[in-house]
Amino acid sequence: MPTIEVKQISKRFGQQIAVDHASFTVDPGEIFALLGPNGAGKTTAIRIILDIFKADSGTVSVLGGPMTEEKKNRLGYLPEERGLYQDVQMDRSLVYLATLKGLSAADASRKVDEMLKRFELYDHRKKKIKELSKGMQQKAQLIVTLIHDPELIIIDEPFSALDPVNTQMVKDLLREEREKGKCIVMCTHQMHQVEELADRLVLINEGKVVLYGGLQEIRRSYSGQEVHVHALTDLPVELPGAVRVEKDNSGYRIHLEPSATPQAFLQTLVERGVQLDKFEIAMPTLDEIFIQVVTTEGNLQ
Amino acid sequence: MNKVRAVFIHEFLTVLRSRSFLLTLFLIPLAGFATILIISNLKKDNQGTPLISIIAPSPEPKPLGLIDQSGIIQTIPESYSKLMMSSPDLESAQAALADEVISGYYVVLPDYLTSGQVDFYRSDFNPISGGNDSYVLSALLEENLLRADPQRLKLFQQPIKLETHFASTAPQRDPESALTFFLPYAVTMLFYLLILGSSSTMLNSITNEKQNRVMEILLTSMTPLQMLTGKILALGLIGLLQTAFWSGSAFMLYRLSGQTFQLPIEFALPVSLLAWGLLYFVLGYAIYASLMAGVGAMVPNLREGSQATFMVIIPLMIPLFFINTLISAPNGSISMFLSLFPLTAPIAMLTRLAATQVPFWQPALAAVLQTGTAILVVRAIAGLFRAQTLLSGQAFKMKLFFRALAGKA
Repeated sequence: MPTIEVKQISKRFGQQIAVDHASFTVDPGEIFALLGPNGAGKTTAIRIILDIFKADSGTVSVLGGPMTEEKKNRLGYLPEERGLYQDVQMDRSLVYLATLKGLSAADASRKVDEMLKRFELYDHRKKKIKELSKGMQQKAQLIVTLIHDPELIIIDEPFSALDPVNTQMVKDLLREEREKGKCIVMCTHQMHQVEELADRLVLINEGKVVLYGGLQEIRRSYSGQEVHVHALTDLPVELPGAVRVEKDNSGYRIHLEPSATPQAFLQTLVERGVQLDKFEIAMPTLDEIFIQVVTTEGNLQ
Repeated sequence: MNKVRAVFIHEFLTVLRSRSFLLTLFLIPLAGFATILIISNLKKDNQGTPLISIIAPSPEPKPLGLIDQSGIIQTIPESYSKLMMSSPDLESAQAALADEVISGYYVVLPDYLTSGQVDFYRSDFNPISGGNDSYVLSALLEENLLRADPQRLKLFQQPIKLETHFASTAPQRDPESALTFFLPYAVTMLFYLLILGSSSTMLNSITNEKQNRVMEILLTSMTPLQMLTGKILALGLIGLLQTAFWSGSAFMLYRLSGQTFQLPIEFALPVSLLAWGLLYFVLGYAIYASLMAGVGAMVPNLREGSQATFMVIIPLMIPLFFINTLISAPNGSISMFLSLFPLTAPIAMLTRLAATQVPFWQPALAAVLQTGTAILVVRAIAGLFRAQTLLSGQAFKMKLFFRALAGKA
C-alpha cells in the first residue's frame, strides 16, 4: 500500500491553475523527490496532500486514507516558509510544537532535550529563537519535523539557505530516516541536490506532471547519445558514429550520432585498436533532463 | 481536546510572560490608585489638599472693586473684605485696576431698583473664568435690600433643603453627587478597555504567528477550530485574571495608603452588577475576540490589522459617544436600544446598570441576544479561520470580511 496516493488532483487560484490533474504515488521506505521550477505547483500539491488546501478535484490518500487528526500526529512537515516563535525560548517553542503532535508534555520535554543534544543545540536551549544563528534555526526546525518520530516526512526545499556542512547533515539525516523505513518526500527546485538521494521522482511543470518514475530509470532512458571514454592510447581521427569529441579532465566526452548506439560505438573503438581504460554511458543530470523534457518533448500528461 | 489544552497553555503562558502585558498589568493599578487618591481628597476637602494644590495650583485671588451709584449698599461687611472693596468713583477704580490691586469692578447704576442693571469692568477677556464671581455682589445687594426682614433674608440666602425619596428599597446614591456620575463612567471605560484589550490580544496572537511563519506547522498539527478555541479560552481567562489583579491591587494599594476602605454609597456597586459584568465581559469578549480573530485571519500583518480593527470596534465605541445620554437618561429610548443591541450591549447595559435600576428582563434579554450573536459570530469566524485564508497573505478588504462573515467567501 503506497504511503501517499495522489489521483488527478487539480487546484486553481482565481485564473491561475496551480496544479493540473497531477497523479503519483509514494511508497514506504523511499525518498521521493517532488521536483519542478519555482512556481510549478509543488508547494500547492504538498499542501493538498497535507489537507491544508482542498483540491478542486481529484483524491488524495495518505497513510491509507483521507487525512485525519490522528494522522497529523504521524507526519512531520518542514514547510518552505521556515518559522518558529521568534520571541519564545527555543526549548519552550519546541516542547509546545511537539505537544501539538500528540506527545505528552513530559515526553516532549525529554525528547526535546535528546534532540537538542544530538543537534548540538543543548547549550543554546534557553535562548530566544531570534537570538540563534540561521543554521541553528534550521536545525531547530528539523527537530520540530522529526521529534515525534513520524512515519511520513515531507520537507519543502530541504537545502534552502543551508551551508555545505548543514546540507550534508540534512542529507545524512534523510538517509538515516530512510534506513529506519520512513517515507520521505523532498520538494525542491534544486534538482542536482536530490540526485544522490532520491529513489523516485515526479517532475512538475506549470502544474502538470511531466516526468515520473525511478531516478536511475529516468536517467538511463534519457541517456545514450553521450559516452565518457578513458583511453590509454590516442583516439583515431576518424570515428564512425561520433558527431563531436571533447577532451575533458580525465578523458573524452563523445557525442554520438542520433542513429548510433553506445554498444556499436564501443565495438568500433575496439575494432580500431583503442586501448580502453574506461567506457561509460554518460547519464544526463536532472536539470538537463528537465530542460529536454519541457523544450522538446512536451508534457507526458 | 489535548491540542486545545496545549494551545490554551501556550497562549496563556506566552501572554503572561510578555513584557508589554506585565507593564500594563502593573501600571493600570498605579494609575487607578492615583485617581482614587485624588477623588478621595476632593471628597474630603473641597478647599483643596496639598496634592491638589500641586496638580492644579490656583493663584492668590484679588478683590473686586464696587462703585455703588444707587446708594443701596451702605457698608461692606468684614467677612467680604477680602473679596470686595468699595471705590469712591470711576477714576479711583480704574487706577486700582491698572495697578492690579483689584481684578475688576462693578458699577451699580443709579436706577438699579427699576432696571436691575449692574456694569462689570475687568482687564482681561476670559469668558470661562470670572463669570461666577457676582455671588458676592448679589449677597451684598440682598442683605441691604432685605435688611428690614432678617427672617426672609435668611430663607432667601439658604439653599432649599431638597430631600429626594425613591420608590425602590435598594440603596440609593445621592443624585447630586459628582461620584454618581463618575461610577457609571468608570464602569463604562473599564469594560470598554477590558473587552478591547482582550480582543486585541487575539489579533496580536494570530498576526504574530503569521509573521513568525509558524501557521503552516500549526495547521498540519491541528484544526483551525482547535487553534481558535484554545486561543479564545486562554486570552479570555487572561482578561479575567487581569481584571481580578487590577481590582485586588487597587484594594491593596488603597489600604496601604492608610485609607479606610469605606466607599461612599455613590461608589457602592450592587453584587448583581458584578455578576452581570462577568457575564457581559465573557459574551462581549467572545463576540469581539472572534471578530478580531477573523481580521487576524485575513490580514497579512499587524499593521494592516490595526487599520481593519478600527472598523470592527466601532460598535464597541458607540456607547462612549452616547455616555452622557446613557448616564443622564438611562431608561430613555436611545439607552434602551444601545443596551439591547448585541454589539453595543456589553458596554451600554453595564453603564445603565451602574447608573440606575434596570428591570431584570432587560439585562436578561440583552444577555440572550448577545449569546445568540456570539454563537453566530464564532461559527462564522471558525468557517473563515481556515487554512487557505490564513496562508493567503492577501490585503484586507472590508467587503471580503463581511462576505466571509456571511459565509459567502
